[in-house]
Amino acid sequence: MMQWKSIVEPFAKLPRSAVVGLLIAEALVALVLWHLSGDGLIPDPIDVGRSVVKVVTSDAFMENFLASLFLTFKGMGISILIALVISYLSVVPLFKPLADLVVRLRYLTLTGLIFLFTLLTQNGSQLKISLLIFGIVPFFITSLLSIIADIDKQEAELCKTLRMGPWRTLWEVVIVGRLDQVLEVMRQNFAIAWMMITMVEGLSMSEGGLGTMLIKSNKYIDMDTVFALLIIIFLVGLFFDWLLGRLRAWLFPYTSVQTAK
Amino acid sequence: MTHTRNEIILSAEGVGITYDRVILRDVTFQVHNITRPEVYQGQVLSLIGRSGIGKTQLFKILAGMLKPTTGTVRIGLDLHPVQAGEVGIVPQNYLLFRHRTVQQNLGIAMERSEKKRTEAETKEVIKEHSELFQLTEHLAKYPSQLSGGQRQRVSILQQILTGTKTILLDEPFSGLDVLMVDKVIELLVKVSLMDEHNTLIIVSHDVENALAISDTAFILAAQQGEPGATITETIDLIGLGMAWEKDIRQNARFREFTEQIKHKI
Repeated sequence: MMQWKSIVEPFAKLPRSAVVGLLIAEALVALVLWHLSGDGLIPDPIDVGRSVVKVVTSDAFMENFLASLFLTFKGMGISILIALVISYLSVVPLFKPLADLVVRLRYLTLTGLIFLFTLLTQNGSQLKISLLIFGIVPFFITSLLSIIADIDKQEAELCKTLRMGPWRTLWEVVIVGRLDQVLEVMRQNFAIAWMMITMVEGLSMSEGGLGTMLIKSNKYIDMDTVFALLIIIFLVGLFFDWLLGRLRAWLFPYTSVQTAK
Repeated sequence: MTHTRNEIILSAEGVGITYDRVILRDVTFQVHNITRPEVYQGQVLSLIGRSGIGKTQLFKILAGMLKPTTGTVRIGLDLHPVQAGEVGIVPQNYLLFRHRTVQQNLGIAMERSEKKRTEAETKEVIKEHSELFQLTEHLAKYPSQLSGGQRQRVSILQQILTGTKTILLDEPFSGLDVLMVDKVIELLVKVSLMDEHNTLIIVSHDVENALAISDTAFILAAQQGEPGATITETIDLIGLGMAWEKDIRQNARFREFTEQIKHKI
């Protein structure tokens, strides 16, 4: 039987049912606090719930939702390709400075570069995708370089004993050997892409998207819809996080197989 | 015990390595091809030294992974300088490709062996060797699903399948219980008898087990007043009548001898 004091004990292991119970209880407390703290500015959770249903069942929702999703996937796809090429090549001395430079670019604020990107791109769609890629790639590369740095040198030595050349070693150890971790990086960075999507959609509203809906609702101080959209964006983000996690376990079974004692 | 020490098949000549201090100094030894009538008798050697003496550095130099500051390691009948890939290594943590199954880990070892095989032949060789190494039921598993002993067997077999005749083993008895040590010794003896030129070099601080399996042992230790470690003693276990004896560890003379060696490292 579970000891109640274990819920406040560091490193205590709780049974699954207790974890679920704790999660539900804390979510209820949060909802109650939200309900009680509303002073007119923040909409009531019940109103937000109603608004979620209203937004999801509206005619415009699916079109805007798919626009955001398409833009995110396109941005993620191109970003991961660029990031992978730069990261894999970073083990070649010629390309290391390029990788180091791109990693540092994550400290460049996008806001100051919007005008430049507007000049460089031909339409709103290109502007959004360019900003998204520019925003995501440095974070992708930072995570990928950290994976490469963590590779045990003995793996390269093993390749040498198996008479593999340096390019085959790169393929076996860094590329194929770490594909599962690349997917994990994608999962972690999907949050950044999904978060950025509303920002870039606000720059060019002609193609719609959840970001456009959010900005319009903010403009008319329709806080119920704003909160409803925030919750939808949040839940979709959680869903893709879960989906990518499942995909990783399915594609790379060695990441979830039972470890021998 | 009838045997002959023939040609030199591996030699270390004045090998030394220095970083901010001298780690190894003038390490010199030879490995001869030992022959016995009616037996494929490979060689089993031990480099015995205490922890931190520079065994791992010597291990890497012998494998051609690390260039020594002085001296050369030569290998083969023509005694050419060793190159990475000519000597197999079985590291202490029995490293394998985590993203490949046992079958794939073994298959990849044969991709670059001198003998070219078809896919069917490769599978057949893996099947035969897996039976010998008691790995048949584990071929579809990933390394993370194996026990330490099973991983060690895969690691040794992986190196054998590359076609290399010389295999270095880093602390092969480390972290194993008594029963497992017996199994490892049995396996290594089996490997040494698979081919006339098979040469196992065990780098270990476990004096008793290293001596029990070896035909020759080299003591790696520091000498008073001299920097770094070097080979301070070569032990001919065949000459002492202590090689190739299955139950040598039960022998009182062997146990006494082991105790003497322990005081020298």
